[in-house]
Amino acid sequence: MKHAYNNSWLENLLVIKAAGAWKSGKLISNDQFLHIGDEHKVGFYHPNLMIRLLLFLASVIALTGLSGLLALVIGNMGDEEGIGVMMFFYGVAGLIFLDRQLIARSHHYKSGVTEGLLYHSALFMILGVALFSDASTYTMTLVFLIVAGFSAARYLDLISSTVAFCSGCYLVFQICYDAGPLVQSIIPFVFIALFAPAYLGVRKLKKANGTEAWGDCLVLVEVCCIIVVYAAGNYLVVRELSTAMLGLYVEEGQDIPFAYVFYALTVVVPVLGLAAAVKMKDVVLLRVSLLLVAFSVFTFKYYFSLGHHEITFTAGGAILIGSALLIYRYLKKARHGYTAERVLEEKWAEANPEAFVISQTMGGNKLAAKDGLGGGGGEFGGGGSTGSY
Amino acid sequence: MNPEKLKQLLDNGLITADQFAKIEPIVTGKIVSVYYELRIVLYLGVTLLTTGLGILIYENIGDIGHIVSIAGLVVLTVATFWYVFRYAVAYSDERVKAPTPYYDYMVLLGSLLFISVLTYLQVLYALFDDGMGATTLVTSAFFFYVAYRFDHLGVLSLAITALASFFSISISPQKWYSSDFFETAQLPIKSIVFGVVIIVAALVMERKKIKRHFTFTYVHFATLIFLLGSLAGVFMDDDTTLIYLLALYGGCGFAAYYGRESRSFLFLLYAFAFGYTGTTYCLTDTVLVDIGPWFFYLLLSCGGFVLFILRYRTFFKRSS
Repeated sequence: MKHAYNNSWLENLLVIKAAGAWKSGKLISNDQFLHIGDEHKVGFYHPNLMIRLLLFLASVIALTGLSGLLALVIGNMGDEEGIGVMMFFYGVAGLIFLDRQLIARSHHYKSGVTEGLLYHSALFMILGVALFSDASTYTMTLVFLIVAGFSAARYLDLISSTVAFCSGCYLVFQICYDAGPLVQSIIPFVFIALFAPAYLGVRKLKKANGTEAWGDCLVLVEVCCIIVVYAAGNYLVVRELSTAMLGLYVEEGQDIPFAYVFYALTVVVPVLGLAAAVKMKDVVLLRVSLLLVAFSVFTFKYYFSLGHHEITFTAGGAILIGSALLIYRYLKKARHGYTAERVLEEKWAEANPEAFVISQTMGGNKLAAKDGLGGGGGEFGGGGSTGSY
Repeated sequence: MNPEKLKQLLDNGLITADQFAKIEPIVTGKIVSVYYELRIVLYLGVTLLTTGLGILIYENIGDIGHIVSIAGLVVLTVATFWYVFRYAVAYSDERVKAPTPYYDYMVLLGSLLFISVLTYLQVLYALFDDGMGATTLVTSAFFFYVAYRFDHLGVLSLAITALASFFSISISPQKWYSSDFFETAQLPIKSIVFGVVIIVAALVMERKKIKRHFTFTYVHFATLIFLLGSLAGVFMDDDTTLIYLLALYGGCGFAAYYGRESRSFLFLLYAFAFGYTGTTYCLTDTVLVDIGPWFFYLLLSCGGFVLFILRYRTFFKRSS
């Protein structure tokens, strides 16, 4: 499928963004950056993040007003199904306006207005189908998958990519669930068998020719695949989901089926991921694996805790600081293709947001200190696993 | 980025061969920087360690082991500050480059450990008679000192939050949506005064060229406190709504102005969000009682706003 944007502008935009990073990393001069900009014309309206957010908020509110007015006018006309059909076509009309007018003529590229209109239209299409169809789980999951998948592929939208991925997962789960108790009991393995190859496929696709425009979406799907493969083997996830969704009841002194397989997977998957990431120099896998290691520690702590979280915190903190400092020392000079030097500045890592995060996670709420020093501890920021966006 | 594109840049003479040699390994992933990963790990480590130590000490007060633990804590604090002072660069009004890559985290760790010691002493010996109030003030003063001496934005933001909480203003998102925030009667006035004072102080220091890169953090916190305070005022009492609404508009005007001057569009976002929320609240209360006109208002106001921004798009561009 083709995306909706002017392809050569999009390619130029990627070049300019990369050049901007080189400029702030002092790899090229400002003059060179400007020159590259002159040579790579981009005609998009693509405002900076804050203006985007502003436009997104404003257009969502405006569209809410519009749909509210329309609802007042046609609310009493026709039965539920008729209204459903109208809502669906309202959504389609919004999508056509987005595609033909905003993107094709006014050259919007992820401007905030585009996202606002896209989600608004998608929502109405989905709600419309829910009203005029049987609204069964399969229908709705499929509708989500199709609408979100289309938005992701045609408008390169990251949130749609995530929604499409999740509906895909849910579809697989639902099919297995309906296939009877035997299949139900091997759902984790079905997921691993499906998403491990999917991960490899996405990695390949990312490096293939002509997929550069979808780069960010593919990285996101890649991350989701790793997480799903891990989660399907994680003891905590399997146990809690089995209890919640399959009605499994674990008695005192007993354990879930295949418990030891899941204990093993909880340890093996992140460690393997980490080792593979270090070996292949795969930054995405590295970052996700680090998070997964942390979650594995949490998993074991959750079921085999001796209490005393403060000791875990202290020891864990000391270990983290110690190992980070050791690696800094080791990688002061580049070794094995790794360096502790900052080669390029990441967008999200400016000093100002960092200061805000520190104040919110650490000093945060000193008033609470009056009722004791507890709390305020467990906010692990999660650290931007998809760094490129 | 596609390596072929980089080759094209070289062929078209847009980058030199030297630069190509430097950039090519980065683009192809032959060299990978773990700078940010290490920083995040360090940050998590500092958070966990200081949280853990804080709870550990608080829970074990009065135990036999507490002398040992407090001694350990003091030793750790002293060691951290020894490191910090040893590598410290001389004070300057300008931005100072950290002497070592992880220096910032050592400063942060030392400051937080110091606060643990202080809290411990306070709880055990009631160092300051009137309880937490004076401790918060001392904490804030200490943070300000560290922030200026070692040029640390993170500690500066801690200092501002501590100072705000001395005046019982909480600037934590956790508090925004809890009802406590709106029920504290004097809060709006306090927040407004606090916000104005901090903003004026920040702008004066900016003019005197003292740590100009701190201005954003000051103005950011102060604007948020001011806007939240006046919005809370709008919500709170019907008699004074109009006064607070005017204050809110004043704050939004300042935010929009400052955002444009300093090219930080976050402030424009704040101006819109707070101004619109306040206005809509007041209008809903008085004029727009029916649902139809209300939808009409949403459509016209926000639609008009979107068109306005699109029409004057060059006005909102970041100069590059």
